[in-house]
Amino acid sequence: MTEASATLVDSGPSALGRLMAPVSAGVNDIAGLFRLLGRTLTLISQGKREQGALLEQMYIIGNRSLVFMCITMGFIGAIITFQSAVQSQRLLPDLTMLGATFIKLLVRDMAASLGAMPLATRVGAGIAAEIGSMVVTDQVDALRMCAADPVDYLVVPRFIAATIMGTAVLIIAGAVAILSGMVIANGVFDVNFHTYLNFSMVTLGDVGLGVTKMVAFCAAIAIISAQRGLSTFGGSEGVGTATTRAVVGSSFAIIVLNFFISGLGYFFVPS
Amino acid sequence: MPIVFENIHKAFGDKVILDGVDFTIEDGECFFIVGASGAGKSVMIKHLIGLLRPDQGEIYLDGEEVSRLSEHALYPVRKKCAMVFQNATLFDSMTCAENVALPLRKHTGRSQRESLVAARERLAQVHMEDFADSYPAELGDGMKKRVAIARALTLDPRYVLFDEPTTSLDPVSARRTDAVIRTLADELGVTCVVVSHDLVSIFSIADRIAMLYKGHLRMLGTPTEFQNTSDPIVRQFMRGEAEGPMEV
Amino acid sequence: MSGSRLLALPARVGASLLSLADQVGGMTLLLSQALKRLVPPRVDRYELVRNLHRMGVQSVPIVMATAAFTGAIMVIQAAPLVERFNAREFVGWGASFVTFREVGPLLIALMFNGRVGANNAAELGTMVVTEQVDGLRALAIDPIGYLVMPRIIAMVVMIFMLTILGDGVALIGSIITGDLLLDVDPRTFLASAIPMLGPWDVIAGLIKSAIFGLMIAVTSCYFGLATRGGAPGVGRSVNASVVAAATGIFVADYLSTFVLG
Repeated sequence: MTEASATLVDSGPSALGRLMAPVSAGVNDIAGLFRLLGRTLTLISQGKREQGALLEQMYIIGNRSLVFMCITMGFIGAIITFQSAVQSQRLLPDLTMLGATFIKLLVRDMAASLGAMPLATRVGAGIAAEIGSMVVTDQVDALRMCAADPVDYLVVPRFIAATIMGTAVLIIAGAVAILSGMVIANGVFDVNFHTYLNFSMVTLGDVGLGVTKMVAFCAAIAIISAQRGLSTFGGSEGVGTATTRAVVGSSFAIIVLNFFISGLGYFFVPS
Repeated sequence: MPIVFENIHKAFGDKVILDGVDFTIEDGECFFIVGASGAGKSVMIKHLIGLLRPDQGEIYLDGEEVSRLSEHALYPVRKKCAMVFQNATLFDSMTCAENVALPLRKHTGRSQRESLVAARERLAQVHMEDFADSYPAELGDGMKKRVAIARALTLDPRYVLFDEPTTSLDPVSARRTDAVIRTLADELGVTCVVVSHDLVSIFSIADRIAMLYKGHLRMLGTPTEFQNTSDPIVRQFMRGEAEGPMEV
Repeated sequence: MSGSRLLALPARVGASLLSLADQVGGMTLLLSQALKRLVPPRVDRYELVRNLHRMGVQSVPIVMATAAFTGAIMVIQAAPLVERFNAREFVGWGASFVTFREVGPLLIALMFNGRVGANNAAELGTMVVTEQVDGLRALAIDPIGYLVMPRIIAMVVMIFMLTILGDGVALIGSIITGDLLLDVDPRTFLASAIPMLGPWDVIAGLIKSAIFGLMIAVTSCYFGLATRGGAPGVGRSVNASVVAAATGIFVADYLSTFVLG
């Protein structure tokens, strides 16, 4: 038995094998995610779906996260406006471009990236916990016994709902961030509403880039969380693990996707 | 009179589980509480160490009323009255030896090293010394139950409560567990309170039996009295018959 | 019937407010019970060490990766503005200020919440539904001193150290990206970052992190211990815990920005 616990600790045959094990696990994981994405998109293109389930998921994912997202992004808008005003005053006393710069950054990036992080927590954990509980209580196997494809029945409605409603929620929450920034700028730094609300620096490219990010992040949240939920095993502990992996996986995917999309945006969407 | 239950009432929401139950458990006996699933057997013994509080009624342990004590004041009670849970409830993050060593380390002021040595001795008493460094997830149900018994015995309690000790065990493990319980009562003079509906255990090791039915004490007596009873409900339960007056 | 529909919305708002008050109250109570066990210190040393180790192993890789990408993204986002105002000598300061003071602690806390906070709620929730917490009580061991206290201390200490690590990694990410994308020499980068960045900017970020850590710890312990109803119950607790902690992080971030400003 001491041997058994010893092999648990050093799980690889060699040092190289140990180093490569997480890499190959990561590659398998990403391959699995793309397979699930492929299945989901194929099923969507075939066009038959559960109307009731879709509407229910849109309500759960969209309406039920709206208040939470508006609160978090409201605070974000206030914090960023406050910090950038304090810091830019150290360089130049003129705050007329404060709003314009903030709004450009928000549209191009922050409404999507900073908003998607709490959204991943809220929506991702919800999807994984719900599907994971169905797996450990054998409801997913029961679905299979009824000849219902779990991907079609569980993943497709959540994927569509998260992509559409998630993007909509992020846009609304971004608008709330602008409003809260405007209130702080006016209340603390005496920037009047009209000067703050300056969209002149926002280009069509910025809007396109921002919306692309939102759609990509929301789709990633849905696919990763659904995959984590479906691969749940082992009772109540398993559901907890699946939820954890969903939140961490989607948050990390958002950061990595943001890096790549922003990088591409820098070269191909000039501002 | 070591353990006395007086007029215990307990309800969860609208669901009345115990509706006025009284009985007394004598020193050093092996006392069984039996009844159908959901009859409130486990609820009954959880009251004794303050894991649940009665809605009404009193519980005396060594003459001390324990049902109204604060969580902190219950600690001495729990040291002399150990409990073996239905699912063993070993801590998954620790090895068997660490599980058994935990109460020693927390309550006797011994170091981790000394506690682990003592824990191995305890595990040897239940023939589990070979699995001291295994984690609970690696063991079968019968083995976990034995480790849980070893953990319950580390502080030399005078009373041990067993919640369905033989449920979900194979027949051989179940009889071994019965033997451990009987040895405790016979050789160490420990009072064993066993919640069970395993008829074999009941008739092989019980000194006295209390049967709960619909929130009341239906019958209290020795195994022989239970076998010869004229109460149709008790007879049906004791013979394990599907047809009869008993409502579940 | 129309009366009940008219009252449905206020009733729901009232119900959410009541449950919010219930949760905030529960967490405050848990924190105060935990603090009481600080004098005299009744913290289980083995549990503390085990949790520090486990939480560190769980979160170091993800925090380092997050920090590296965050540092890089800060420079990419600043790039168009830097080019427009030709402000290369300010890139180092701008990127490192934002990272150390705001975005670093925030993103690290969100990641820590997802990884360690969720895992903690799941572990405690599992212990509740499998009666292991009752098992502790039956062994006359105080669950708050034994389970909650070491976790709170471990999380606050660990997030503090992770933020120091993350700050360093993010700085390296920013320097590399600045060099590749904007041709800002690493020396120019550091020359602008170091003199303009006061020690207070770094300390304020670390204080914030510790506050977030406390928030995550209390929230995840509370929701974990409040778990009811089997495996689905654990899922619900983890979900509720990460969402509540994320909200808490944003609110605390907002308040601390003004207090530490």
